Amino acid sequence: MPVGPFGLDPLVWAIIRLIVAVVLVVALILNSSLLLIYLERKTQAIMQDRIGPYHTGPFGLLQTFADALKLIAKEDVRAGQTDVAFFIAAPALVFTPMLASYVVLPFAPPLVGADINIGLLYLATLGSMGVLGIVIAGWASNNKYSLVGGLRSAGQLISYEVPGILSLVTAVLVVGSLSMVKITESQTGPITNIFIIPLAFATYLVSALAETNRTPFDLPEAESELVAGYLTEYSGMRWGTMLALTEYGNVVVVCSIMTTLWLGGWNGPGVAAVPILGVVWFTLKVYALILVFMWVRATLPRLRIDQLMSFCWKILIPVTLLNLAVTAVLLIAFPTTLLPVAIANWILLVAFVVLLPVLQQRRLRHLRARLRERTATASLAS
Amino acid sequence: MDVLGPILFAFLTLMIVGGGLGVVLAGRITTSALLMAFTFLNMAGMFVLLGSETIAAFQVLIYVGAITVLILYGVMFTPQTPRAYGLFFQKQTPWGALVAALAALPVIVVAFSFHDAASLPAPGGDLNALATAVFTSFAFPFEVASVLLLSAMVGAIVLVKREPASRPPAAPPDPERPV
Amino acid sequence: MTLVPLPAFIAVSATLFFIGVAGVLVRRNAVVILMSVELMLNATNLAFVAFSRRLAVAGERGSVFVVFVFVVAAAEVAVGLAIILAAYRNRPTVDVDQLDEMKG
Repeated sequence: MPVGPFGLDPLVWAIIRLIVAVVLVVALILNSSLLLIYLERKTQAIMQDRIGPYHTGPFGLLQTFADALKLIAKEDVRAGQTDVAFFIAAPALVFTPMLASYVVLPFAPPLVGADINIGLLYLATLGSMGVLGIVIAGWASNNKYSLVGGLRSAGQLISYEVPGILSLVTAVLVVGSLSMVKITESQTGPITNIFIIPLAFATYLVSALAETNRTPFDLPEAESELVAGYLTEYSGMRWGTMLALTEYGNVVVVCSIMTTLWLGGWNGPGVAAVPILGVVWFTLKVYALILVFMWVRATLPRLRIDQLMSFCWKILIPVTLLNLAVTAVLLIAFPTTLLPVAIANWILLVAFVVLLPVLQQRRLRHLRARLRERTATASLAS
Repeated sequence: MDVLGPILFAFLTLMIVGGGLGVVLAGRITTSALLMAFTFLNMAGMFVLLGSETIAAFQVLIYVGAITVLILYGVMFTPQTPRAYGLFFQKQTPWGALVAALAALPVIVVAFSFHDAASLPAPGGDLNALATAVFTSFAFPFEVASVLLLSAMVGAIVLVKREPASRPPAAPPDPERPV
Repeated sequence: MTLVPLPAFIAVSATLFFIGVAGVLVRRNAVVILMSVELMLNATNLAFVAFSRRLAVAGERGSVFVVFVFVVAAAEVAVGLAIILAAYRNRPTVDVDQLDEMKG
């Protein structure tokens, strides 16, 4: 009979390992969400020249803990006409895929839940599952704002999945593996993938912002037009699960994907000697990216829904497709060196950044001219 | 680990058959849609049990992430009134059930005539083999499939696009005109 | 590790397929009929994967076919929903019993 660690039966050990891992991950998500909300409020405050939370605890650190306690202690309110089963199921449907994503995140060499050979595909799959819960939440709330928010969100998430996955595919082409551990191990040197395929990073960053419903793409929960979108009827811990835990958990997941694919994951000075040090580097990189997300939120205004969709389908998807095609052709043409890919990618990135405002201004000029023409004919007719 | 495979198989079978029956029998259409997603998820579990994780991931990505959401869109854009009378009293029900059951029986009997190959394909990931097959022997069908998807997309857009109103709409306010 | 035998998978696949057939025959709501068709497609997927993994002669071809079934299913649901919505615009119903203009 085979014997696992600590002289236990392997089957028993597997169950113990599962329970410990789930408890650890839930604790991690809860705490990191609380910390991230505090960080979000503080950075927003600093950028808007305010102080932010400062009453509870040192530097206001305990403010979000107090908020979480309030949410848990709140009465579980449910409006009369809601669809009970779906209303209760929706937060779980949104939360569970996010929770399952943590299985494959490579925190450090000795700290990977499971190194499956399709790790990245698994993450993309789970990312697409959250949509279902959001649509169901919008439907079950029996409220027009919720329904519009849910449908908008589904449209947005499905649309932005395409450029997101295409950017991931570009990175996978360069690395040659879908396993998160192998992707990390391929970038031990100082030249990480962000220097080789910066355009893929930029397009993934934009679609990640959209997929986590962050400003400037937070239309589904646009409070000024849709009350709170699909979250309108939710309160208490159901609201906390859907918004706070899931949104910040998803932000951590997409930032971890970016860290692994483009920033070298756990690699950093001293990791070769002390492998567990990888956690520090990984966390630092993830939080740096999260700070970028918060910076974007403080800077950019919200897009309109038609702008959001046309940006995705008319600009982002063609650009990512072009990038993918160019990368694939160059990888086949020069199988030994990544230099041509890097050069092409940087050129494309610069062209993208420079041409986008020019094209946009031309389009706006054209639209305004047409509008003036139409107003002129309309006033002539009347 | 000896018992785990059959137990998982029995569980997944129960969930798949139960979910499928639920889709057909459920009174409310949103329940049907959710049960369909549930069936697809369990089907993905079946694929993992067979050792095809890549297909399982595609299954969840396409069926749960895209097709179910599309169908939910369809549900929400059309009014869904509950059935006026139970499924049992519908005139198609006895015939439909009978035809399906009669057709199913021989197929299930035939199913038990297959046997596992003496030498099974190597266990482990199916990613490399699948990708190689798709991009070498099946490259042409793969391209044709992309054309099919494109034509389906264009067709869907043409079908739902509204006819432009015969009268031009009133001119929207000029953003640049001072108020 | 004991393997679940191939016929078991095929039987599950056949059961689900004929549940889908019964759904198409019995249900009158066009959207539910579309769902039943998806169930049937998925049932064939299970048979394809099972044969591909358990019959040495099939090789990877079964799995490749599943990929094409995914493509067809996605195209089918998109066009099917478009047709349902277009029909709904002409006559405000999704009950296929009431869409009978072509009846002589």
